[in-house]
Amino acid sequence: MALSKDELKAAIIKKAETAPKPQLYIKDFYACDPDTKPREMKNVANDLVKEGKLMFWSSGSTTMYAIPSRIKNEEGTSGVN
Amino acid sequence: MAKHETPLLDELEKGPWPSFVTDIKRQAEKKPECWDILGQVELSYKERITHWKHGGIVGVFGYGGGIVGRYSDMPKRFPGVEHFHTVRLAQPASKYYTTKHLRDICDLWEKYGSGMTNMHGSTGDIIMLGCRTEALEPFFYELTHNIQQDLGGSGSNLRTPANCLGQSRCEWACYDTEEACHHLTMHYQDEIHRPAFPYKFKFKFSGCPNDCVAAIARSDVAVIGTWRDNIRIDQAAVKEYVAGNIPGNGGAHAGRDWGKFDIQKEVIALCPTECMWMEGGELKIDDSECTRCMHCINVMPKALRPGADQGATICCGAKAPILDGAQFATLIVPFMKASADNEFEELIEFIEKIWDWWMEVGKNRERVGETMQRIGLPTFIKVMDLEPIPQHIKEPRSNPYVFWQEEEVEGGFERDVDEFRARHAA
Repeated sequence: MALSKDELKAAIIKKAETAPKPQLYIKDFYACDPDTKPREMKNVANDLVKEGKLMFWSSGSTTMYAIPSRIKNEEGTSGVN
Repeated sequence: MAKHETPLLDELEKGPWPSFVTDIKRQAEKKPECWDILGQVELSYKERITHWKHGGIVGVFGYGGGIVGRYSDMPKRFPGVEHFHTVRLAQPASKYYTTKHLRDICDLWEKYGSGMTNMHGSTGDIIMLGCRTEALEPFFYELTHNIQQDLGGSGSNLRTPANCLGQSRCEWACYDTEEACHHLTMHYQDEIHRPAFPYKFKFKFSGCPNDCVAAIARSDVAVIGTWRDNIRIDQAAVKEYVAGNIPGNGGAHAGRDWGKFDIQKEVIALCPTECMWMEGGELKIDDSECTRCMHCINVMPKALRPGADQGATICCGAKAPILDGAQFATLIVPFMKASADNEFEELIEFIEKIWDWWMEVGKNRERVGETMQRIGLPTFIKVMDLEPIPQHIKEPRSNPYVFWQEEEVEGGFERDVDEFRARHAA
């Protein structure tokens, strides 16, 4: 059975906090709940960005997600977006 | 006065073509930070290594695309390009805009950025090159509030959809490309502005098989206008072409004397499927063999027109040569009605089926065409709930994409072939 939205958010944050690398692809979150459809997972991850709990890191061609305090930009400050 | 010596770049101003070096020097008179672009690029030419650092966390609030972070790895030496982010703006459908709109965008970019632009990027976006992080939000605010201009796409997003001029200017457009592009752009605002996929995803809309936006070469879903009845022929106009009273190709090559128009040499002999011939002074076409190359229609536009039963062909999986070389799109649906009457329902359903599959099985940084190639077309066709058709086969007998499953073969794979051949010669 798929996790509730709040449970899924908590699982995503836990994954982002504990993963060896600070930047994660959206697919890395799929393992948080195999019963959640990818598009729903994307919506929840993007909700977490809106809430400021996750942020985007983009190479220009690919976008990844990170916990703001785990990542610094080239200017030496952690993410605020 | 030049801030840096640029002997290598200066060489690029000596050729017959306009030079970006000259453009940047001109811009540097107004925006001194542009001298540092030249200085850094000169150093890269000398050392044969880039001094740009690509990517980052920069963006504007609420958006996960449209801004591409870029920094210099030598900010002390080239402070003008310490931050040099790219901002992509969504191009209007068919790239129709007023000069006022462009001037407003350029004025705003002079105010907040380097003033350098790239018209247009390969996806179609208007590219604004070079601004500092702290300028992004104020630029975005004025862009959206004062000019009503949105950002384009970047990252793992749906990129700004693009379309040809379509029915606004072109008599060959087989569906309303502008309506389709606008409708899907509005329908998928979330996917355009927030990352959704394993990698970038593009759709492009061409009104006819001339494919003026090169959808078949560049987009994950190419929607290319076509027809499923017969090419419409005006035999009287054919005679006028043959008599030399109407110039071929709309007179496009009239600057040189090519001799009298020769329908046999210039049209019939060039048909790739040899499906045309003259009979009793009339042009005949075996439409069942037509591959929609458009050559005959392009040469004799007053005599030949696309058929009246119009729609679109859907091809999937094109990409540029980042990995494994460039790839053309593969034909998936030969004909689909593309109409605003049902809000492009069939097309939207098709696209979302692809997304659901690709988001599940696509690898990180894998375009959908690469996923199709890795998993195989038979699986893709099944996922799309389609029946295999002859058009799915690239080269009959040499490279068949479609394989039979045992349950689809009468008698299965264990049947007695000799007994079968006794009744059916090979």
